[in-house]
Amino acid sequence: MLSRGLLFVWIAAWLVAAFTWAPLVPVLGETTRVLYFHIPAAWVTVVALGWSMVHSVLFLVRRRMEHDDHAAAAAELGLLFCVVATISGSLWAKAMWGAYWNWDPRETSIFFLLLIYFAYLALRSAVDEPQRRARLSAIYSVIAFVTVPFLIFVVPRLYFSLHPDPIINPRGKVDMDPRIRIAFFALLVGFTVVFFWLLSLRLRLARIERRRLEASAAR
Amino acid sequence: MPTKGSSSGAAVWAVFRKECRTEWRTRYGWNSALLFALATLISVSFAVGRLTGRSDLLSALLWIVLLFAALASLAHAFVREVEGDTMTLLRLVASPLAIASGKLLFNLLFLVLLELIAVPLYFVLMSAPAPPAGPFLGVLALGSLALAASATLVGALIAQTRGRGALFAGVSLPVLLPVLAAAVSGTRQALDGGDAMMEMRLLAAYGAAMIAAGLLLADHLWEE
Repeated sequence: MLSRGLLFVWIAAWLVAAFTWAPLVPVLGETTRVLYFHIPAAWVTVVALGWSMVHSVLFLVRRRMEHDDHAAAAAELGLLFCVVATISGSLWAKAMWGAYWNWDPRETSIFFLLLIYFAYLALRSAVDEPQRRARLSAIYSVIAFVTVPFLIFVVPRLYFSLHPDPIINPRGKVDMDPRIRIAFFALLVGFTVVFFWLLSLRLRLARIERRRLEASAAR
Repeated sequence: MPTKGSSSGAAVWAVFRKECRTEWRTRYGWNSALLFALATLISVSFAVGRLTGRSDLLSALLWIVLLFAALASLAHAFVREVEGDTMTLLRLVASPLAIASGKLLFNLLFLVLLELIAVPLYFVLMSAPAPPAGPFLGVLALGSLALAASATLVGALIAQTRGRGALFAGVSLPVLLPVLAAAVSGTRQALDGGDAMMEMRLLAAYGAAMIAAGLLLADHLWEE
């Protein structure tokens, strides 16, 4: 309860700081502010996908349904954050590049991620039996994982992109104004904690649902 | 139901030959894929006329035809087993790895035969200038390998779900789109006289990664 309140205050305070205390980047102007939503959301998208895929592999190895709960919950939340990252990025592209969508390599990669999430959840909805659903979706998760390095790292490096690269740039350096950097990393941490909080709620729900199913089966 | 079917080269070959024979009996998958490819090619040709000199459109058209022909037919190898209730028997005689490899070989042959008809027709109908054979055929071969490897793997999953056919296109699309992107870009370069080395490397790496994933996952593909 207290920690949840702290999380809300943390995010609210750093958002205010990001808008009032942190300076603007010269060329980007007011669109600098998208940094505080877009990149944390994109980061959580990748964390959620990784989390889902690690638990898919763990399910295949250990065959425990808790891992399937983790994989499914992380994929659902990942889709949510992926939509946030896509929409905020698209609005920024409209302001800076003049079009909401123009298949820049970065836009292509995030579109693939959206598709992967959608397909994963569609596959889950098409299998009734829980064990089989867990197994098939875990396998699909691993197959989809094979495409991720190609999408995120190979394709945007090979083809020219207009996307600014403050975090994963080829030199591996963070060159931002210190005030922007502090606010940005504070919000990155905030978004990540929100993800794990929502994940824990979703996992509790999954546990309750399974217990209810087992109870009604036993009766 | 744990099974200890054979996974030797002979088993792979036997599965492959069985696939060819069952397909030859009805030719259902082959006919639908071929008709699909022809219908798409002819309707585009009819609607836009000749596309000489537009390598961007030509390369996209070629791969869209191949992609959707593959989507219409490559899951069939597994769906057939489930619908005919023959999967259990097949698993008694062959290991999951042998089944998956045999069906991958069959799907590859299927794609090659389809391309033998569709690609020459595509050049005739579109009046596309003949590209340098090496890069064009290289991209075509590696693209087909990557396409067959990904579609076979997803097809094995889809056959075990509700509404098999309908789901296949949607679920395999995220896995196939990287292939499509690289193959279209490579074909375009080949049509423009380039060597398309980067795209060929990308397609080869992707195909190899998919085959490796298939080898690792084969034992989990069928269980109950």
